[in-house]
Amino acid sequence: MNIVVCLKQIPDLQQIRIKDRRPLLEGAPLIFGDMDKSALEEAVRIKEKAKGTKVTALAMGGAKLKDGIKEALAIGADEAVLLMDPPFAGSDTMGTARALAKAIEKLGEHDLILCGEGSTDNYSGQVGPRLAELLDLPQITYVRELEIEGNKLKAVRNMEESFEVVETELPALVTVADEINQPRLASLRDILKAARKPVQEWTAADLGLSEDEVGAKGSAIETVSNLAPEQERKQVVFKGDLDEVTENLINALTKEGVLGR
Amino acid sequence: MGDCTDKMDVIVVGAGLAGLSTAYFLADAGLDVLVVERGDFPGSKNVTGGRIYLNPVRDLFPDLWEQAPLERHVTRERLTMMARESATTVELQSERFNRQPYHSYTILRAKFDRWFADRVAEKGAFLIPKNKVDDLVFEGGRVAGIVADGDEIHADVVVAADGILSLMAEKAGLREKQQPRHFAVSMKEVIELPRQTIEDRFNLEGDQGLAQLFFGELTQGMMGGGFLYTNLESISLGLVVGVESLMERDPLQEVHPLMEAFKERPEIRVLLEGGEVVEYSAHVITEGGIHAMPKLFSDGMLVVGDAAGLGLNMLMTIRGMEYALASGAMAAQAIQRAKEKGDFSASTLAYYEELLKDSFVLKDMHTFRHALNILENPRLFNLYPQVVCDLFEKLMWIDSGPKEGLFSIVFGEVRSKLLSFSVLRDVLSFCKM
Repeated sequence: MNIVVCLKQIPDLQQIRIKDRRPLLEGAPLIFGDMDKSALEEAVRIKEKAKGTKVTALAMGGAKLKDGIKEALAIGADEAVLLMDPPFAGSDTMGTARALAKAIEKLGEHDLILCGEGSTDNYSGQVGPRLAELLDLPQITYVRELEIEGNKLKAVRNMEESFEVVETELPALVTVADEINQPRLASLRDILKAARKPVQEWTAADLGLSEDEVGAKGSAIETVSNLAPEQERKQVVFKGDLDEVTENLINALTKEGVLGR
Repeated sequence: MGDCTDKMDVIVVGAGLAGLSTAYFLADAGLDVLVVERGDFPGSKNVTGGRIYLNPVRDLFPDLWEQAPLERHVTRERLTMMARESATTVELQSERFNRQPYHSYTILRAKFDRWFADRVAEKGAFLIPKNKVDDLVFEGGRVAGIVADGDEIHADVVVAADGILSLMAEKAGLREKQQPRHFAVSMKEVIELPRQTIEDRFNLEGDQGLAQLFFGELTQGMMGGGFLYTNLESISLGLVVGVESLMERDPLQEVHPLMEAFKERPEIRVLLEGGEVVEYSAHVITEGGIHAMPKLFSDGMLVVGDAAGLGLNMLMTIRGMEYALASGAMAAQAIQRAKEKGDFSASTLAYYEELLKDSFVLKDMHTFRHALNILENPRLFNLYPQVVCDLFEKLMWIDSGPKEGLFSIVFGEVRSKLLSFSVLRDVLSFCKM
């Protein structure tokens, strides 16, 4: 079985500082999003059960991807394809899905495409479904449990208020929720071994894509602004007798809805 | 093991300056080098005050400094003695310091180390952050590799570059039990301010920088002091206190309030106004000098940088980064020689110590061997700064009545406060520096 896992490198959100409501992305370390990692973990678990399974990590991004992809290979992907080319920069979800679809077609036969249900940064949740449409594959989104038997795929979807159990035949595209598994950490030795796994780099031209189909030029969506919500502190100080202060504090917190809900 | 793909030539534990320097030269010479770093990225765990002196290490890295992300070149040096309600500052502003190639730069290590690590990776070294080394592998009494998260990885040489509290040197039996008097606690905050504000506030032109050291009241008589360095768009402000001084306090003293009080001093408060604290950190640093150094090599192992105790408080200057870079370069040299001989025993690796002895590194450590004894003198932190400030204050003060003669003021202060046997002894001990 051939599994392709799509991964997106995002800034480590814990390392980002907000200044004047703008995120300072410069210099933030890049990591793979939580749900992308869960998708990879699921692929590796399938591989561990079904002998002869090959897992390909597919990612689009900048120069740092070359280093970052080692983590995916260390966790258990057998090989990687990186879409690293200036024309890809600034792609919206449509452009990204287009590039990924072309790359998956170029990779040849595939049985299962795994994606995170959304990226941990923008969380549009669109790339997976768009990709399924472009590849003309059945799609199952928000998957929290996945089971594969022969040619059959059974998945439990998290519909928030309920779980939905669906079945399809392979090939298919599945987007996973992070509750599906706890991704493993790569050991030092896995990381060392990963350095010897094959990594290919493809350009837009390799995929037969023109500059109008991907990147900023091929985007239907323009990001106008990206601002953090304003957080105003009340800065109230209660002074005086302890009992009185305590009562005032409790009253204020109750009024704000923090207490006594 | 048996899996030969897992064997490296050299494993470096710790991606600070010493470890990265070692890896830089070894990878350049074509050796298989693995650098393991515990932090999220090289520099992320670093607590350095923030200035580097380039002259000792300029020629070691001819290709490095031009592109390096350093902050400001230091053209103004301030030394401030703090008394309870006053402070006296001596300032040097030197055109010599403003001439290229610049003598010293302020530096933010979180930025610099990441950049340096990329250069090391370009040379072909394998750098793995977010991994902690738990133990060493021993084979027939020699160090033969590392253990990380249960995995053994073998190497001809392991280089301990894991900082002042080097677990590797300890595991290898190279370090004796540590004494509290050999350590100090250092706290640091990086406070962001607009570039122009920094330049206006400190009278700096362009990329010129200021470095300021403080001693006296800020450590409440305990061994230690403070520092302030101007970066391009931030200020590094910190305070250092001797661990033994802290242990002797009754009641015991937490260090953080000292930092808060330091920041509230009128001399400091105005410099920080409007700034935002973007980073704070604390770590132990070495004060032991040559007396606190471990053994530097054993069969299959070398110790570099802070792990080797290569740090010095020279009173006027505080050094460490140049020693880290140079010791890494010399460790690499010794390892290359061992590789040529195919012998990684202690007798071959001893060449590392010979190199250090012939260089500024161990020569400085020797010259400043008495520094700790002088620094342990409490009068340096309570009596002298107060005397200097009081004297200066009296000289400058005009009262309602007639002014006392200047000589009489000086003589009166000296006679009442400095005429004692212990002060005379201090003067003699200062001569040893």
